[in-house]
Amino acid sequence: MKFNELMKNDFILLDGATGTMLQKSGLKLGEIPETLNITRPETVIDIHKQYIESGTQILTTNTFGANSYKMKNSGYTVQELIGAAVKNARSAAGDKALVALEIGPIGQLLEPAGSLSFDEAYEYFKEEILAGQDTDIIFFETFTDLLELKAGVLAAKENSDKPVVASMTFEKNGRTFAGVSVASAAITLEGLGVCALGVNCSLGPDELAPIVKEFTEWTSLPIFVKPNAGLPDPNSNTYNVTAEDFAESMDKITDYGTVKLVGGCCGTTPDYIKALKKVIDNKNYKKASPKKDTAVCSATTAVEINQPRIIGERINPTGKKLFKEALINNDIDYILSQAISQIKAGADILDVNVGLPEIDEKDMMVRVIKALQSVVDVPLQIDSTKPDVLEAALRVYNGKPIINSVNGEEKSLNAVLPLVKKYGATVIGLTLDEDGIPKTAEGRFNIAKRIVERANKLGIPSKDVYIDCLTLTVSAEQPACKETLKALHRVKTELGCKTCLGVSNISFGLPNRELINHIFLTMALEEGLDLPIINPNDELMTGAVRAYKVLADIDKNSKNFIESYNEIKTEKPKIVSSHISLTDAIINGLKSEAASLTEKALESKDAMEIVNGELIPALDKVGADFESNKIFLPQLIQSANVAQSCFEVIKKHLSKNDNTPVSKGKIILATVKGDIHDIGKNIVKVLLDNYGYTVVDLGRDVAPKVIVKTAIDMDIKLIGLSALMTTTLKSMEDTIALARKTPELINPDGSSKVIFFVGGAVLTEDYAKKIGADYYCKDAKESVDTAKKVFDN
Amino acid sequence: MIVLTEINRAEALRYLGAGKVELNESMEALMNSCERDILKAVSPKYLYKKIPLENSGLLIGNSINEHLKNCGEAVLMCATIGAEVDKLIRSASVTDMAKAVVIDAFASAAAEQVCEKAEKLIKEENPDKYFTWRFSPGYSDYPIELQEKFLNILDAPRKIGLCVNESSLLTPTKSVTAIIGVSDKPLEKKRRGCAGCNLRKTCQYRKSGERCEV
Repeated sequence: MKFNELMKNDFILLDGATGTMLQKSGLKLGEIPETLNITRPETVIDIHKQYIESGTQILTTNTFGANSYKMKNSGYTVQELIGAAVKNARSAAGDKALVALEIGPIGQLLEPAGSLSFDEAYEYFKEEILAGQDTDIIFFETFTDLLELKAGVLAAKENSDKPVVASMTFEKNGRTFAGVSVASAAITLEGLGVCALGVNCSLGPDELAPIVKEFTEWTSLPIFVKPNAGLPDPNSNTYNVTAEDFAESMDKITDYGTVKLVGGCCGTTPDYIKALKKVIDNKNYKKASPKKDTAVCSATTAVEINQPRIIGERINPTGKKLFKEALINNDIDYILSQAISQIKAGADILDVNVGLPEIDEKDMMVRVIKALQSVVDVPLQIDSTKPDVLEAALRVYNGKPIINSVNGEEKSLNAVLPLVKKYGATVIGLTLDEDGIPKTAEGRFNIAKRIVERANKLGIPSKDVYIDCLTLTVSAEQPACKETLKALHRVKTELGCKTCLGVSNISFGLPNRELINHIFLTMALEEGLDLPIINPNDELMTGAVRAYKVLADIDKNSKNFIESYNEIKTEKPKIVSSHISLTDAIINGLKSEAASLTEKALESKDAMEIVNGELIPALDKVGADFESNKIFLPQLIQSANVAQSCFEVIKKHLSKNDNTPVSKGKIILATVKGDIHDIGKNIVKVLLDNYGYTVVDLGRDVAPKVIVKTAIDMDIKLIGLSALMTTTLKSMEDTIALARKTPELINPDGSSKVIFFVGGAVLTEDYAKKIGADYYCKDAKESVDTAKKVFDN
Repeated sequence: MIVLTEINRAEALRYLGAGKVELNESMEALMNSCERDILKAVSPKYLYKKIPLENSGLLIGNSINEHLKNCGEAVLMCATIGAEVDKLIRSASVTDMAKAVVIDAFASAAAEQVCEKAEKLIKEENPDKYFTWRFSPGYSDYPIELQEKFLNILDAPRKIGLCVNESSLLTPTKSVTAIIGVSDKPLEKKRRGCAGCNLRKTCQYRKSGERCEV
């Protein structure tokens, strides 16, 4: 029997818990359940057989934790353990049941919550999949991190041709420990091409019911449900739902429709499976169709495109001097701050474009995607003209993204659409081809149609293709605007696709651009525009979308509109006096006052005079107060932040006048390999930034070779390293040692070109010396003193 | 289940080194908004298990043997306030570092509160027993690498999403593992001292003549 044939049945009966049964047969404390495949195969086979006798149609192997990370101290290899497990399951199953290779989470958190990378996770799964080739199907169960599960599903798809089932574990609030929502799990996994998806473990069937119900709204794939036998008693480790009650609850759950693969998780035994069998033997499978429209998502947040949604366009270097500079200097925080401000202003989705000739776009795209998904919740739109950049980003993206873009050119269709299909993304289709942009609506509609047909051929549904009918500049081609809108309307009504438009191009070359943009946006919305790509910080544009949703009866009772304009004002400190000096503003943490005072000062004073005469002395005063315990750390940082806003003003002023921005020297900062506590490093960064140093922040968990390479590539001589734990001090030592023996970092006289300063809770002056650091800094303030000394300023 | 309704602000301030500093108005406002943010983000969870110490493989080093002297059993415990808090700190680090620092301190205080509440529950459930204080891997000569073993015994990765990375750092970061000795007879009162602490050389509290009292 093949899995595909089994899927023709109304229901498929799975097994119950393995762990619970092993515990009952005397698993010792600390004993690794997977080793029993080898040490006591008869016990494992007996459990399998009991399930077969209860009616189980697919047995799962006893390999939940059989990855080389978890098994490192087991005394066996993954190949040995999985090989034995598969053999045991096969011998019990005979021709009565199929065998599923059971794969659980690796047991270490992926970035950004932990330090395991996507590629490392992929390798762990690949090893398991290759070891379990003699199975019929692959079950991923009990996952809480969608990205880890994605690594697993991709490893399965790329290293075997077996069907894949993916199941996650949710808490009562409808989220996994990692915050993954049901909607995000459903649409991401369906996109990745699993053959069934669902939920197992953590809760009993009654608590899982609403979660299963939500799954049915988001997916048309068969749903997999394996609840626990209720909740465990922490002392006795027994569960509170009986086999009969379990079956009764599952009867209700299977009524929702779409639920097809059923079994039990922790606490369930062959009795539960027997009871469950009675329920499903007497009923028919119901297929329900999901209610939801096309949607994109991050791991936590799904955005259904059932109404106009704003795509923020600001993460893009085109025409932005500061953004370009940030990309060249690896200033990821600048990009993150752009993201956060767009979300605050009302963006639902963010476009991400980091294409710049001077940088490695692929590497930067992956870094930016990872960084963005570590701090923001909105879905992302991956924007690049290069297919290899798109693919690299698609792999590490945690959710279902939009790809920007494909167009009607043969080359583009062939390169981009297969990526859309493989990674389960949605895509923007531009209505242009080898012959350029058609002048007429008819021409653009035809290209749209062709793109959609080609997508359908690969199995991409029309609803996941978002057509962009292209905005042309009205001052150059006045009739074009109406053609764009006409094409948009036809695409929406005749092809059943969603539509998007970059809006602001329309007004190029005209005065009062805002007005034109805003009216054009309103016209397009009325023609059926779903995804305006705009600058959300432009209040008139965001406001137009909000107002449209009220007037089009989308925003019921104007709820969102009212919320957007009735924001509760946050507590703000009272301003003591309106006649304060710049120095006072910095010391008292008054950000906007300080910025405007700086602007004023620039009218009469030279930039460096302000920096050296006011900003730095004010910071020194704050630093001294900090050292003498007059103020505490957050105040020190707040003052530094205020100084930063002053520096921003000065930087802008200088770049406007085409002067090089003030920099007192370049410094690399990094939290070393293996360490993910980076708050200390971040504090140091803020202070150094505000004393006018250019900080290249490499982030946390940074490998020695990355630090050394950056020092060489960017010609930087001062490097600050941070480590919190005794266990990661070794990485600090390794980094310094690597730099000391790297020829590019050694002067002709044999001395080192780079200077290291180090800090962190467990470090001491002595230890810093021992590992070859040049300076030990006990706090952020000392880092600044060290930088001053090194750069002699 | 443990629910936190407020954060021990005095404790958080001490972490921030503000024991002797008078808060100005803007700091007061920052504290308030950070406390609100963190209460929204925390998702406190804990696990514990009472185990016999003999052949547990957990008595490594002098300090733990000294600590658990006269205890036949021990409670292994772990606690976390969840991954959302780490995200909150990361996001604040981008927009406002002062806020990030305050949230970080509140988060540490919150994790400590969860431990205290869990410890209270453990004691309530074992009314006729006597306990030592919480001793954590990484303290004195007790190997931090044992955290992984603690988590495995407690099945923490699966049950509460608490893992450890290859450098023995707990993830989510605001988490704790600990062992509490259990005895049928009263135990000699001992207190945590600085002598066994790995941070004694750099400790800011010690420098200012205080104690961290954790």
